[in-house]
Amino acid sequence: MSKSYFDETHCAIGHPKTKVMQWLLTVDHKRIGIMYAAVMFTFFFVAIFTAMAMRIELFAPGAQIMDGDTFNQAFTLHGVIMVFLFIIPGIPAVFGNIIMPLMIGAKDVSFPRLNWFTFWLYIVGCLIALSSLWTGNGFADTGWTFYAPYSLNTDTNVITTLVAAFVLGMASILTGLNFLVTIHRLRAPGMDFFKMPLFVWGIYATAWIQLLATPVVGITLILAILEKYFGIGIFDPAKGGDPVLFEHLFWIYSHPAVYLMILPAFGIMSEIIPTFSRREIFGYRTIALSSASIAGIGYLVWGHHLFTSGMSDIAKTIFSFLTFFVAIPTGIKFYDWIATMYKGKVILSSSMLWALGTIVTFAIGGLTGVTIAMVGSDIHLQDTYYSVAHFHYAILGGVVFLFFAGMHYWYPVVTGRLLNETRAKVAFWLNFVGINLLWFPMFIAGYYGMPRRYFDYLPEFEIYHQISGVGAAVILAGLVLMFYNFLSCWKKGELSGTNPWNATTLEWHLPSSPPPLENHTKVPYVDFNPYEYHHGEPVVKFDYETMKRID
Amino acid sequence: MLEGFNTSGTVIAEHINEALVINLWISVVLFASVVLPMVYLAWKYHESNVKNEDIENITHNTALEIVWTVVPTITLFVCFWYGYTSMVTARTMPAANESITVQVEGSKWKWRYEYAANPSGFVHKLGGAFTKPVRDENGKIVQEGTMGLSALYVPVNTNIILNMTAPIDDVIHAFFVPAFRMKEDVVPGRITKQWFNAEKVGEYDVECAEYCGTDHSYMYSRIVVLPKDEYYAWFNSSDDTPKGDYGKSGDAVLQQHGCKSCHAITTDKQLVGPTLKTRRLTKEQVLDVINNGQDQLGYAMGAMPAGMASGTDAEEIAAYVAGGMKGDQPASFAACSSCHGEDGKGQYGTSPSLVSYDVDLLRNVLKHGKKGMMGTMPAFPYVSEAEIQEVAKYLEAK
Repeated sequence: MSKSYFDETHCAIGHPKTKVMQWLLTVDHKRIGIMYAAVMFTFFFVAIFTAMAMRIELFAPGAQIMDGDTFNQAFTLHGVIMVFLFIIPGIPAVFGNIIMPLMIGAKDVSFPRLNWFTFWLYIVGCLIALSSLWTGNGFADTGWTFYAPYSLNTDTNVITTLVAAFVLGMASILTGLNFLVTIHRLRAPGMDFFKMPLFVWGIYATAWIQLLATPVVGITLILAILEKYFGIGIFDPAKGGDPVLFEHLFWIYSHPAVYLMILPAFGIMSEIIPTFSRREIFGYRTIALSSASIAGIGYLVWGHHLFTSGMSDIAKTIFSFLTFFVAIPTGIKFYDWIATMYKGKVILSSSMLWALGTIVTFAIGGLTGVTIAMVGSDIHLQDTYYSVAHFHYAILGGVVFLFFAGMHYWYPVVTGRLLNETRAKVAFWLNFVGINLLWFPMFIAGYYGMPRRYFDYLPEFEIYHQISGVGAAVILAGLVLMFYNFLSCWKKGELSGTNPWNATTLEWHLPSSPPPLENHTKVPYVDFNPYEYHHGEPVVKFDYETMKRID
Repeated sequence: MLEGFNTSGTVIAEHINEALVINLWISVVLFASVVLPMVYLAWKYHESNVKNEDIENITHNTALEIVWTVVPTITLFVCFWYGYTSMVTARTMPAANESITVQVEGSKWKWRYEYAANPSGFVHKLGGAFTKPVRDENGKIVQEGTMGLSALYVPVNTNIILNMTAPIDDVIHAFFVPAFRMKEDVVPGRITKQWFNAEKVGEYDVECAEYCGTDHSYMYSRIVVLPKDEYYAWFNSSDDTPKGDYGKSGDAVLQQHGCKSCHAITTDKQLVGPTLKTRRLTKEQVLDVINNGQDQLGYAMGAMPAGMASGTDAEEIAAYVAGGMKGDQPASFAACSSCHGEDGKGQYGTSPSLVSYDVDLLRNVLKHGKKGMMGTMPAFPYVSEAEIQEVAKYLEAK
């Protein structure tokens, strides 16, 4: 059998002999992607268990297992890990690395050493973030948004978290830069922008956000550090600063950041749906351009986080109006995906189930976002459980669910194995039922006036918290089962072959599975569209030795 | 459901609810327009029903695409419009001369209200911290959490404008009244405004909606809507509350100013600040003062310099003072007695008592604030002399 990227690798420095050093120093995009996944999902589970602890505390009113201060640190830890360590690197760091170069027929990203450096910068950021669990006056209790002047006044160890967020932002900028150059310079000959697979479009739109928006949060975090430790008086009202300015600066990045999370996820959806409908995607250009337009409009809507912050009414109106323009391209994408199933042949594999399930959960996440984009309703719902539920439906039920869909879909590319489908489907249903039990009651609780970030609450809200608690247990069971499946099939799963799903894009036209170190044997010439099917069979076929078309 | 949630009868709640209902129906329709076709197509074109030859690559349908772009766009802008108009209702302040304006101050973790002077020149000041519920070991509530009589009292069918702010060294809070569907951040150094006009007599919960730290979850208050005559009878009097017995006892004073958020009163537990039960200095506090001096309390004697004693002497003194000055006085106490007296009880208004927090110490700490072992206690300059005396008496009696 030919050697795969697990057997040999290129390293940033020298030619180390040991396996461990080969992994630590590897510049191979596929290995780096796997290492990102390993670290990110470790943190993901830390944050999940923090969330479970909070759900147990909230199961009944009163303080049971933690007091208010501990709870405040718990939701900050949960938010910081989930946002900065998990979901912002997210799909780009894992599948942008592993899959994107394969999809465009490249041997690696444009700057493999920079990619290696970025990964380790990310690790440094993670270590700094978590160091405050053991140093100073304990982990930050500010919430992941670090709002001034609270973050300036608190005694907890905010500086490490701020520095960590800055370092992680740096890693994000470099990733975006690397991907932008890769997509511009390393596409296989013949592959113009409108011949790129839609996942690459998603990564491309995301990379621009990473590159252009992240510096704003970097500056904001630096200003917050200078404010806290040198008292420069930008945000602190006692020194003539403006705390609302911090909110503006923070959301100028952090709102585009949610599109940075969702656009590559939409890309995954656009790969899975045509493959498992065995036909060309409906409205390719519309989907591609809507990603780009969401990335653009996304810069102009940050003010909708500030509808009750004392912003002027005219600004509220404008931000609300602009926000609705994000909903339109998003909606169109959904109709395009559904139309793709029309007169196709729908195969309900585990990855297709995840994709279709996400259409339901993200539709809820998106539509409830419309409610709070309306200024009047947001006055009532801002900072209640309604916004918490909206956010989790959109991010867990959108981004993370599609991340999982992608993990089921590309598992054969990465490992050369198939997953246990039955187990995968049971895990999907547990997650799908769990998310709805966990978060749907929060919409109702929020409407009735349950504020977020309360560790104790009025007895009126007990029933909603209890249903949520049950949902949390269900979803945890689903996650454990799914990850058991991922890990156990890595060695024991059935061999997949190179194209188990009859898919069309280039990552399924590799000479072996798992792929060799430098991917395709030769760089292919791309004179075809990404999703060409005829009567349910891929149109384009290659000779994998020469990468010449043989259809 | 919170008290009055469905019956509050404010024009703002009515408009916002209208916007929410319209949004709900639009959402249901849009959701169905996505999910129903999805389920139908997944069933209709399931692999078991389709032969490969029947698959068709349809990639465009202009008419359909225009429909699914234009129709959702229109419905979305209906949503925008209702969001906008309900905001206009909520944010257009009524004329000040046709309204009652109340100053609201949110601080960690209490709401305080100050009214304009009444005809006889009396200024009503109300509000305070929520008393947390008391539970036994099994988590059963022994005593319900309560605002006591502290509340924002307003007359029915009257425009009320809230001028809200937070102390400059505090953090952001948000004044949220679910029943009235109203919320606005309370920002240090700024004045933000909200208004409402309650059409029904009753009591309505106030919550803090912007995360503000330790007791964020207990930063409740209450709005009590009274019949007009009852309201004016109270407003024109100098009674503390409409029911007449509010703010008289030391306990109520402690609650009103939020002391109980940081200090335990009946137990030895150390919360944010020291317990007031023994009213004794802790060993750490005494050492802190000996090592760092104390210049904030405003006693006539002036600042106490740092380093009056050191090493084992300081330890000895600290242990003696923290123990309530019982037993044999250590020789090293001589360093203290020149100012604080042989018995450590200080001199009235000149130097503080070491035995326990007496009324002078209370007054000075409240007026000047205090930096100490456990962080900074802010100043409470608005606490009146009568209130200080009440608190001292109350603590003495405990």
